[in-house]
Parts: sequence; C-alpha cells; structure tokens
Amino acid sequence: MVSNAQGSPVKAFIVEDIRVCTFVLSAMLRMFNCEIVVANNGKEALDFFLEGKKFDIVLCDKNMPIMSGPEAVKKIRALGETDVMIVGVSADENAMEAFMSAGADVFVDKPMKIETLETMIQEVMNKKNAMI
Amino acid sequence: MEYANLRRQAASLKRSLFDQVEDLQDEASPNFAEEVVSLFFKDSARLVANIEQAMEKYPGDFNRWDAHMQQLKGSCFSIGASKMNNECTSFRNSCGQENAEGCRKSFQKVKREHAILRQKLESYFQLLRQAGPARTATRSGGK
Repeated sequence: MVSNAQGSPVKAFIVEDIRVCTFVLSAMLRMFNCEIVVANNGKEALDFFLEGKKFDIVLCDKNMPIMSGPEAVKKIRALGETDVMIVGVSADENAMEAFMSAGADVFVDKPMKIETLETMIQEVMNKKNAMI
Repeated sequence: MEYANLRRQAASLKRSLFDQVEDLQDEASPNFAEEVVSLFFKDSARLVANIEQAMEKYPGDFNRWDAHMQQLKGSCFSIGASKMNNECTSFRNSCGQENAEGCRKSFQKVKREHAILRQKLESYFQLLRQAGPARTATRSGGK
C-alpha cells in the first residue's frame, strides 16, 4: 500500500497516443491518488515542460505520431529537467535501449503491472517527503 | 444452481481474458472493465479499417502498414488480448520481410481473432449481467 504521511499528491504525466492504454494507466494512477495529466505525443509532452509545468513522474510510450517517446525524453532532459522520474513504457523490442540512452530512469514492458507502478510511485513519494 | 453455473462460466472466460483490467474495477467504477473493453473495440475497429485502407491504397508501403499495426498491437496489450497480439506481431514480421502475401494472411488472422475476442467479451459481460453481483453466504441470527 502506497503511503504518504505528508505532502502533496504525486503529479503524474502520461504520454501515450492509444486511448485505451491511457484509460487503464489513469485508473491505476488514481488508485494511488495521483494527479494526472495526459499528452498524446512526444511534442505535446515537450510543450508542457516548455510552459514550465512540473511533474513528479512521466510515463512515456515509445511509438507516437509527431515525436516519439525517446526523442521527447532526450529533449526534456536537455531542458534541465533532471529531477522528474521518467519511465519508458513499451512492448517494442529495442525500446529499453532507446529510452535509457535518451535519459529515462526506468524502463517497463507493456502492459504495466499495478505492483510495478506502486513501487515507482512509492519511490517518488519517498523522494518528495525527504525534500520537505 | 443456475447462478453458480453462470458464475463459473464467467470466471472461466475471465481467466483467459483480462484479470488485471478487472482488478481495477471497484465500487466507484463498477463498470470499469466493460468501459475499457468498449473503448478498445471502438479504437480497434477504427485501426483495423485504417490498416485495410492502407493496404489497398498504398500497396507495398510496408512502413505505413507497420505503423498502423503497431498502434493496434499496443491497444491489444492494454486488455491482455494475447492471441490477437500474436497475430499483430506476425503481421509486423511480414512487413519487416516485405512479404505482402504474409501480411495479407496475417491480417486475415488479426481480423478473425478480433471478431472472436469481441464475441467472447460480449458473452462474458452478458453472463455477468445474468449472474448478477457475487453473493456471499451469511448465517442468519438466532440459535
């Protein structure tokens, strides 16, 4: 069970073009009381960061129109966004290598398991609480 | 007896389908699984049509065919549609080999699995509705 004795909810950012994947992932994040924002491709995701929006965790698909996940991750990191946990999520071969070399912290195979997400959310919460 | 049979049939279908999606169902979202499935079929019907159109309008454009199938494959993962997912993979492999005939055969299988899945899931939800909510045995008070 994810616990957060103090502090604000985790701000989660889903970057995914497939609606049903977003729907399921959002439901999982709501189980952990996360605030959720969604972008439909890498460029939209990058625009959020360019506008100064902050997130605690980014869950990013690989193959999307306009801008891919790894490309977006690389550009987000290049903005100096080093604190946010970026998770690459994909069923594609070679996705892990693409995400990790772009600067993601973690790679998870699709479909995301609730237990895996819980562990990552708890890690983010622990980090947030340690900074208070 | 009838109720128990219906619940058993629904459980059997469920095991082969999408346990994790149903785990996300709760009192606040009692129809979550059905909503996911409904969304999946809306998306997947559109994606299947896109692939069909791409294969007709852009013969030999394997990159385009593959890009469309990739989206459908990603969608399959979200509800644990493993058989359909396998056929999507087969199609993508044929694209990689630039094997148009292989793509056509795989695509027929994708459509077949899609139809079977729809039928199974419709039966599943119908069974659930017929069976009603799960009951728990209670012991009445008094000695």
